[in-house]
Amino acid sequence: MTRLGIVFWLVLVAVAGFTTFKVKYAVQDIEDQLNRVRKQTIADQQEIRVLTAEWTYLNQPERLAEMNRRFLALVPITPKQLQLRIADLPFRAPAVAPDVMLAAAPDPAARQIPLDPLPVLDPVPINENSASPAALAMASTAPDRPWADGARTEPASLPERPEDAAPVQLAKTAPVQLAKTAPVQLANAGPVGKPNSLDALIAQIADAR
Amino acid sequence: MLSAQRLDENPCRPRHFRPPPPCAPVVADERQAEVIETCRARMVLAAALFAVVFLVVALRLADVVLLPGVNAESHAGRIAPVAAPSPVRADIVDRTGKLLATTLDSASLYADARKILDAGEAARALVTVLPQLDPAAVHAKLISGKSFVWLKRRLTPRQQYEVNRLGIPGLQFQHEERRVYPYGDLASHVVGFCGIDNNGLAGIERSLDRTVKSQTGPIQLSLDARVQFILHQELAKVISDFSAKGGAGIVMDVRTGEIIAMVSLPDFDPNHPGRADPNLPPAEAKERTFNKVTLGAYEMGSAFKIFNTAMTLDAGTATMTKSYDAIHPIRIGRFTITDYHGKHRMLSVPEVFMYSSNVASARMALEAGAERQRAFLSRLGLLTPVSVEFDEVSTPHFPARWREVNVITIAYGHGIAVSPLHVATGVSAIVNGGILRSPTLLKVAPGDARSGERVISPKTSDQMRKLMRLVVEHGTAKLGAAPGYVVGGKTGTAEKNQGGRYQAKKLMSDFVAVFPMQDPRYLVLTLVDEPHGTKASHGYATAGWTVVPATSRIIQRIAPILGVPPVDEGSPEIKRALAVESLQGRKIETY
Repeated sequence: MTRLGIVFWLVLVAVAGFTTFKVKYAVQDIEDQLNRVRKQTIADQQEIRVLTAEWTYLNQPERLAEMNRRFLALVPITPKQLQLRIADLPFRAPAVAPDVMLAAAPDPAARQIPLDPLPVLDPVPINENSASPAALAMASTAPDRPWADGARTEPASLPERPEDAAPVQLAKTAPVQLAKTAPVQLANAGPVGKPNSLDALIAQIADAR
Repeated sequence: MLSAQRLDENPCRPRHFRPPPPCAPVVADERQAEVIETCRARMVLAAALFAVVFLVVALRLADVVLLPGVNAESHAGRIAPVAAPSPVRADIVDRTGKLLATTLDSASLYADARKILDAGEAARALVTVLPQLDPAAVHAKLISGKSFVWLKRRLTPRQQYEVNRLGIPGLQFQHEERRVYPYGDLASHVVGFCGIDNNGLAGIERSLDRTVKSQTGPIQLSLDARVQFILHQELAKVISDFSAKGGAGIVMDVRTGEIIAMVSLPDFDPNHPGRADPNLPPAEAKERTFNKVTLGAYEMGSAFKIFNTAMTLDAGTATMTKSYDAIHPIRIGRFTITDYHGKHRMLSVPEVFMYSSNVASARMALEAGAERQRAFLSRLGLLTPVSVEFDEVSTPHFPARWREVNVITIAYGHGIAVSPLHVATGVSAIVNGGILRSPTLLKVAPGDARSGERVISPKTSDQMRKLMRLVVEHGTAKLGAAPGYVVGGKTGTAEKNQGGRYQAKKLMSDFVAVFPMQDPRYLVLTLVDEPHGTKASHGYATAGWTVVPATSRIIQRIAPILGVPPVDEGSPEIKRALAVESLQGRKIETY
């Protein structure tokens, strides 16, 4: 009985001792880990401070204005653009069902006018073909992130905006594409008038309204 | 009993050993028995207590070791969050949170000269990586035998790496904190700068040095970097267009007294305050650090007629319909007061203000009297240094004895010199309904009404708004109009006083504008020092041709940023709000 008791207590002491040390080491490990994380956090925080300063430096209004001038050419908002508030906008006119319009137009010749010219504009090969060369020209001349190299490049040393590139490209390609594709589209287009140029089409739409 | 018997039966028992009495002594005495009983009870109690304590310990042990127990998250809350040691100086940010000043770690290089093995070799090697060092000076430092000599403060990380790579024994780095101003010269006069030992030497850095050093979070200023940039850019343009010596500008919220932008040109880069430009003579470098807005004291010229008119209207000595003689010049002593843009007729108060008549203004002031004038200017804070979070504020110059001639000249802004900030603060009070609030450079939380002191009645304030609008509609500041933003204001062009004489060729042109006039929100004051007329301005260097067009551009650019919605200036409500009754139905002569 007594012996059994002693064995029991010894085992208990051994188990307790073992688990105590186990727990202790586990805690020590976790604490080491915590300290590492803490150190890393502090290092990261310092890094964030440096990066914030860097970011602010790169966002100097002067530099942004210069970059805007070269790449975006945005202009300040004019009062005219701000004159209307959301509340001032009229509600959308109630949608008019085609039947109603048909019913309203007694003359079958007249009723074709508002319906037909619209689908003509639907296929837009004009945009696809003419816009992309211009965009490509822009992309190829404007280097990738020009401010990235030489860390602290002043705005003055940014590459010149390809100012003449875009308009020239547009001027060259856009009319050609228009001349080629637009009349073809228009020729297929419905019974109305058969306009032979874009201007004529626009005029026709304007008349129809 | 049993144990005693067993003991007795022990064959190994020494002879002389008497077995102890069986467990408890037989006590004959009743009193002794009682004592023993008490002892036993106490022992049981003590044993029970210990048992309980051990039980608790055992339970806790089981709890910690065996049971899954509490989760890590609930523990995490109790541990203090880690934060990088807060830098010696807090960040300074603008009202939208953009960084104006921050503190970064940097390494400084020093040498322990006793440990240097070959000073000549070390000096030569150092100069290859730090070319800005003077080899002879470095050599002298390295052979000095001192245990600590600075070689170069504040290296870039790259330089530090290069120096480390040289592997010269005796060279050491000391980590230092370095103040960095990412926006450069944008807000140099407001933010100020620090010395090499991180003590504020100018601007907010100096005046709030203690706060900057003790606060952990950033200090938020009332400044808006975008507005600051626009003001800076437009002022710089005026200065270069009219080849002026310098300029100053303020944008202020008239309702709260917050300074939204404050520019003084020429300025400097606070990252290198000492050597703004190494080619400059030291006097000019000093001139650059001079904040014209708060530290300058200028005769503001006709812009002072705002105060003069408000004073006479508020005192009741003048009314909107009363007329004053602008026909005859005033002669006093050896002076003759005339009008720059003479109309030579009787002018009503709105006309006096609109055409900026010196003669009639002087008559209005004389009518009100010296005492009233002085008291009014004092109430507006124009006779004491302005109270703002800034050490660099000027004391106004005004006559010690307020004689008649002073009353006359002060009416149109001569003979009294105040800082532009004084004027901005005073005019804010006049247009905002009559409450004077001291200007502030710290952001005021929205909805946090700052207390102020009433200086004029709301009625006078309303009248002054109409008069200021008139100046832009018909008067000297027609180029200051910004369609949609209902600008009002008053121009001033003063001759500079040098050595007691007014110099006709050296002007100080200023314009105080407020918008939108029907419900004033912001004030824009611009001032340019010694502008010279150009072809485009038909040779004029007066305010109307220099700062007024610039102010128009400034307002058109900053109003969308400040959230001022444009209105239709021709709409009946606006017209009615700003109509001057006495001029109704009359054809207004344009200036």
